[in-house]
Amino acid sequence: MKTWALIVDTWREALARYTLLGFALVSALFLLILTFALNLDIVDGSLAAGTLFGKALEFHHGAQAIDTVVVTGQSIFAGMLYVLGVFLAVFATGSQVPNLQTRGTVDLYLTRPITRTHLLLGRFLGAITLVTVNLLFLCGGVFVIISLKTGVWNPRFLVAMGLILVVFLSFLGFMYLVGVLSSSTPLSIMLPYALYMFSFPLAAHDHIAAAMDSRFWANVVHGLYWVLPKTAEVGRDLTGYVLGKATPTLLPLATTAAFGALCLAAAVVIFNRKSF
Amino acid sequence: MISVRGLVKDFRHWGRRLRALDGVDLEVRRGEVFGLLGANGAGKTTLIKVLLGLARPTEGEARVRGRDPRAASARIRVGYLPEGHRFPGYLTGEGTLRLFGRLAGLPERTLERRAAELLDLVGLADRARDRVGRYSKGMTQRLGLACALLDEPDVLFLDEPTDGVDPVGRRQIRDLLLATRATGTTIFINSHLLSEVERTCDRVAILHHGRVIRQGTVEGLTRPTQRFRLRLAADAPLPAEQLQAVGAAVSSSNGAFEVEVPDLETLNRLVDTLRAERLLIAEISPLRAALEDVFVEVVGEEEAR
Repeated sequence: MKTWALIVDTWREALARYTLLGFALVSALFLLILTFALNLDIVDGSLAAGTLFGKALEFHHGAQAIDTVVVTGQSIFAGMLYVLGVFLAVFATGSQVPNLQTRGTVDLYLTRPITRTHLLLGRFLGAITLVTVNLLFLCGGVFVIISLKTGVWNPRFLVAMGLILVVFLSFLGFMYLVGVLSSSTPLSIMLPYALYMFSFPLAAHDHIAAAMDSRFWANVVHGLYWVLPKTAEVGRDLTGYVLGKATPTLLPLATTAAFGALCLAAAVVIFNRKSF
Repeated sequence: MISVRGLVKDFRHWGRRLRALDGVDLEVRRGEVFGLLGANGAGKTTLIKVLLGLARPTEGEARVRGRDPRAASARIRVGYLPEGHRFPGYLTGEGTLRLFGRLAGLPERTLERRAAELLDLVGLADRARDRVGRYSKGMTQRLGLACALLDEPDVLFLDEPTDGVDPVGRRQIRDLLLATRATGTTIFINSHLLSEVERTCDRVAILHHGRVIRQGTVEGLTRPTQRFRLRLAADAPLPAEQLQAVGAAVSSSNGAFEVEVPDLETLNRLVDTLRAERLLIAEISPLRAALEDVFVEVVGEEEAR
């Protein structure tokens, strides 16, 4: 009952602060563009012609097998959604902890007979349900539109959504830590974005470390690579998986998830020790 | 019901240590209405926060119903109205009670009954479906009180309960508190509105710079003075010059007279003088020092040390 109350509260807050509406509107806009801007002409299982925003698509090797075109397109969309989905989700949930910790509000929640751990994790669960539903709408919508237009149903695209969710959860854990420490919504949104961007070049940590003069700094670069989420590798695995060319490797995904879990655990410990 | 022993609370701010509570000892008995008085920054809110598990004590211990308030289960049937509370503005009055009632673990049926009863009791039944963001300060305060009373608390903590409330609202809140007290609830009030505390509380403590500098019953602290209220029948004029001659200082306010005498002998001579003038005395009653006077005096003495 208490957990359910916290989940419902998270949804109400997202609804009232228009973050849920914003997420849904951007997703709907993306889906509408996809519905009306992309037109494909399929003849005998091959793509004979296509237009994007009314402009004819050119195929240099004659008619393409529709399966190849669809999975290639889906792979591109998966890459786009990987960035868009995580960014929207971070934006939609960034204010959760700072709002909870607002003076005069936190007292009302914490003086109920509920543990602080339960309170924080209940809201975390609320954020997961919120983002899962939105990702289902966005990614599921893209999947349905492309599949209906082409008649090719590639379930790998839906698995990609799971990978996006795992990466988002890792960032959500980080956001909770930043939120508990700073009580600042701008910081809770900006730092995950910065981390997301920062983790991309770290994929080339071997090259960066080799260019370092000092062994210490080389180790720092390697250390950061292993500690921080591996967004570049997960993204690469995700697009490769949708293409059917690769299976997601466990290590980048596991270390990304571990980063989020550690951040969340730290957030819970600090929240429990904090005086309000 | 509530006990505090050698309680110290330090806050750190940019490496500087700020002591909010400095060895506080308090005891509040079951069914008592206890008032904690103090100027702004005296440590009143910090003490309440420690008693509710919102802040960790640096030293000493606090117990509510014999339990450490930091344990979630210790907060079952404990109500709290924080100072400057901010209910989520997106919830309705009814939704607010439902959310906090569910977090308190109230069964749905009980919650439905209590929410309706309390909204009616605090006069918000007709605004129950309006968003809290549209409530006035007084309405929010009454909603806060309803929220604090949701699970029929054994102990009720109120931090500035009449802050920002108009006189009619204050009287409603006072009546509500007295009705709650009649059910056996222990009430702990933080306030700097001394007249309110004087009317509501059985015992009070004065907190100054984080230390309890005086505590006792309201009756005991507001000791009798050498001043008396005097009222004559049929609005007869007072022979002021003759009374001054017997050694009484006389002043008038709101249709009655206040006389100050050095001792009871003078008071009796004053009565003799009035009777000799064939004036009919309707009332003579001793005046007590107001709690505000006691507070100012005690804090002043402490500052002078």
